[in-house]
Amino acid sequence: MLAARTCRVVAAGAGASLATVLAVLTGVGPAAAAEEGHDDPLGYVVDLDALDDPAVVAEGRRLYQRGCVSCHGADGVGAPSGPPLEDAGAASAHFYLTSGRMPAAVPAGAQPQRKRPAYDSEEITALVAYVASLGDGPEIPRVHPDEADVAVGGELFRQDCAACHSATGGGGAQSYGRIAPSLMESTPVQVAEAMRIGPGQMPVFGPERFSDEEVDEIVRYVQFLQEVGDPGGFALGRIGPIPEGFVAIVIGLGATLLAAFWVGKRREQSHDVEEGSA
Amino acid sequence: MSDGVRSDGQVHEGQQASEMKGPDERSGDRASRSWGERLVALAFTVAVLAGLALTVVYSVGGQPQLEGLFLAVALGGIGVGAVVWAQRFMPSEEVTEDRIELGSTDEEVEAFTHSFETGEESLERRSLLVKLGLGALGALGLAAVFPIRSLGPRPGRGLKDTGYAEGVRLVTVHGRPVRPDSLVPGTVLTVWPEGHEGDADSPTLLIRTGAGRLQLAQPTVDDIVAYSKLCTHTGCPVGLYQQQEQLLLCPCHQSTFDVLDGAEPIFGPAARPLPQLPIGVDDQGFFVALGEFPQPVGGGFWDRKR
Amino acid sequence: MSTDRDRPSSPPGRRGTPLTRRTVRWLDRRVGAAGMARKALDKVFPDHWSFLIGEIALWSFVILLLTGVYLTFFFEPSLEKVVYDGSYEGLRGLEITRAYDSALDISFEVRSGLVMRQMHHWAALVFVASTSAHLCRVFFTGAFRRPRELNWIIGVTLMILAIVNGFTGYSLLDDQLSGTGLRIAYNIAISIPLVGTWIASLFFGGEFPGPDIITRLYVIHILLVPGVLLALIGLHMGLLVRQRHTQFSGPGRTEGNVVGERVWPTYLAKGLGMFFLTSAVLAALGGLAQINPIWLYGPYEPADVSTASQPDWYMGWLDGALRIMPSWELRAFGFEVPNPFLQAVLVPTITFLLLFLWPFLEARVTKDHAEHHLLDRPRDRPVRTALGVAALAFYTVLFFAGGSDVLAVTFGIPINVLFPAFQVLLVVLPAVAGYLAYRLCKELAQRDQPGGEHHAREVAPPAPDSGESHRRDVAPDDTPERQPAAEAGGKPRR
Repeated sequence: MLAARTCRVVAAGAGASLATVLAVLTGVGPAAAAEEGHDDPLGYVVDLDALDDPAVVAEGRRLYQRGCVSCHGADGVGAPSGPPLEDAGAASAHFYLTSGRMPAAVPAGAQPQRKRPAYDSEEITALVAYVASLGDGPEIPRVHPDEADVAVGGELFRQDCAACHSATGGGGAQSYGRIAPSLMESTPVQVAEAMRIGPGQMPVFGPERFSDEEVDEIVRYVQFLQEVGDPGGFALGRIGPIPEGFVAIVIGLGATLLAAFWVGKRREQSHDVEEGSA
Repeated sequence: MSDGVRSDGQVHEGQQASEMKGPDERSGDRASRSWGERLVALAFTVAVLAGLALTVVYSVGGQPQLEGLFLAVALGGIGVGAVVWAQRFMPSEEVTEDRIELGSTDEEVEAFTHSFETGEESLERRSLLVKLGLGALGALGLAAVFPIRSLGPRPGRGLKDTGYAEGVRLVTVHGRPVRPDSLVPGTVLTVWPEGHEGDADSPTLLIRTGAGRLQLAQPTVDDIVAYSKLCTHTGCPVGLYQQQEQLLLCPCHQSTFDVLDGAEPIFGPAARPLPQLPIGVDDQGFFVALGEFPQPVGGGFWDRKR
Repeated sequence: MSTDRDRPSSPPGRRGTPLTRRTVRWLDRRVGAAGMARKALDKVFPDHWSFLIGEIALWSFVILLLTGVYLTFFFEPSLEKVVYDGSYEGLRGLEITRAYDSALDISFEVRSGLVMRQMHHWAALVFVASTSAHLCRVFFTGAFRRPRELNWIIGVTLMILAIVNGFTGYSLLDDQLSGTGLRIAYNIAISIPLVGTWIASLFFGGEFPGPDIITRLYVIHILLVPGVLLALIGLHMGLLVRQRHTQFSGPGRTEGNVVGERVWPTYLAKGLGMFFLTSAVLAALGGLAQINPIWLYGPYEPADVSTASQPDWYMGWLDGALRIMPSWELRAFGFEVPNPFLQAVLVPTITFLLLFLWPFLEARVTKDHAEHHLLDRPRDRPVRTALGVAALAFYTVLFFAGGSDVLAVTFGIPINVLFPAFQVLLVVLPAVAGYLAYRLCKELAQRDQPGGEHHAREVAPPAPDSGESHRRDVAPDDTPERQPAAEAGGKPRR
């Protein structure tokens, strides 16, 4: 079963990369493909070739003035309620916009949550292009997870990601109400971006720590965690011994206690049972 | 297996059976009886089917969920059948039995004590011999310490030493040395003393804080600090670095350390700061340790400071 | 093995017993135990469903033995490195230890191995859970009183061993979670004053992680502790048979008799039914609910860690103590007593010491040294019940504190709020719960007895329990023979 699933995943990955190659060859950008979510398995969403287009940048500025300027200030210089965006770069803008974290629905200082993106792919392309034009922040990383070694990715993931996001990628608690989010919804591009830009509390993992190849491996492993089945049955949220203990006590002990209650029931002697169990 | 007769005719020593309460054959409730029999038959049949299904599942390659399910149904079927059988068709008369006396009579205790102490009367130096005997046992016990001693080495400097010494490079898990300028602000990197990559006692967090003010006891390089990765509570790797708040959090028991203030514990059960590694840069521009950690790393122990 | 001999008057129409008779004769001429066996079969066992809780524990243990033996055929307790080449893609090509490798093979390559592994783990969790429930039943009904103090001590020992073997079991697999647990155990060991570092070094065979730890845990897990468990369970049940079971009071039930079913055949058949039903629950869990997915946790690397690193539930209260108990460290003359000693050594030591001593402490306080075979209803002993409920509340708070990080994420409450809240609850909740339990007991007891003249028993009277009036009526019948023994036994203890 597992093998079959893996084959399918690999096939899907290969198919997707083939589609990307074809798209590049025919001059049709990934953004066109992004209209149908499944043709953009890596989560680029934006039209990568359009980011330098002045018209797109201008459109981005219009959107920025409407939706972002109140917190981030004119031309991304920052404001009391939001950080400057001059060196945020395309990667940050792309990360926050595609994961729906921006525009934030929470007050400044609180942790923005992943939600449905507020903008469509064209608008995100424009906004990313505009933010990228403000300074020289990092570009949107290109990821190639289908060529990466998943097991090595797992090794790296456990070294530097599992401490916060948990070995199963389910996320975890941090100090003062912060939460390392679950990676179960993250797209490959977002995972790579997060490593490079260190959004929020997350540390930065620059090329000194992870080469581009290693980033691909980690991205591949996160994909793998999202796709891999649970051979043991219901996974109980994959958060370890706590739900397991809960199930053992409530279902395991509970069911056996019910059995004991039934087995120990004496027919025509309900009087005793009632009295004794008081 | 009717027991009606036994309960009247075969009253055992110290037991008396009260009037019959359960067996349906007495009550003559045929309908209930046949319903019960059908229930048992059904339970066992289900168990048989589940057992066969289990064999099939296993022989075609196995599938954990189906295996568990059929096993559960097979076992449960037998269980339900057995219990219904017992409840409906086995004697459920109430028997009263006198409790036995647990304590023995005084004579018995006397006799036992006598037997136990037999042989003592002829001894003249009883106390000396007993002491010698105990001494022999004690000596044997002392000798028995030595096989136990073989289980592990004497706990020596090991708990206090790591692989660091003056001039030892800080390297990644793959043995790559690290330059200060390759770390962008907000970076955390786990490093080891060169030649000890992966050692359990010396993982070290190298953090570029990007902050101007650091309160540290040991020399360091720019805004970069190096702390032992092992929590001073129970030695878990303190792997959660909260970049914005400059906190290190231990995932095991949530001790929280202030990165800018010498990794002092500010929350949770840890009582001591993470030991800070004095670091510098060698002539080739790579990080080196300027010495050993000033305190032993990891959880505390009795003679930590000795 | 039937007791055909005991039943000369089996009903007509039922034959087919010569085989039984022949077998019994054959055996009896060599062993000569037919009389004893008959007595055993005729033992009277009072029935109440709560007396079967211990049986759940027993049958879980049997399942542990059966599945455990199967697992030992495949598990290799070795830290030797091999390259994983099994069918799980996420680890293929990594260098891992044989222990982890063989545990993965059990999960993915051995047919029915995963079900066996999961059943084994679920059985361990249910084993300790039912042991705890059984302990509560015995505690709250006063079944530990004379003459059963010894069996109480054996029972508490069994519980400790069950916990120890659970820990050694999940620590064997050398995955990331088990290694993290072992590291904590190592640091708890070295926190013991004077001898701690020696204990740790001898046990781990050196400094953590130690070259021998897996091999030693394996021997402890599959031989040493199960052997002792098996022997003590035998003793536990032997004493039960010898002393007869306790019973709740009721018509015709006195301190001097046992009212119930004979062991053979009904009770044994029900017991067998309990075995199959318990196994069925464990099999269902083993097949349908994933437990300890070590392939997701990865192989142990000392510098790695995953958030939400929790022990199995029965260690949860210790983990909670490690989190929220004060971080006091005693330092003097250059020596120190690190805080894990208080949290993870003293807390369990005091816990189990109190449990061991409870029957004697209670007898001393209530001055009740008489034999008791009739059980208390919890309401009849408000003080004991209140103390028990308070203790349960205390350990429940510690238990939930052990999951503070998971609770923080699940309910969106910051850890920094949860910790102080748990610290307050740790003091307040036991007091409140104990008080409420006390009030409830009094209320219920009052409602039971409209006359109200029996209220004196709240403080546990010295005389054997005085229940309903009919019990009083019966008591004189058997006192003449019983009383001397009771007194003789009572004296030396004082």
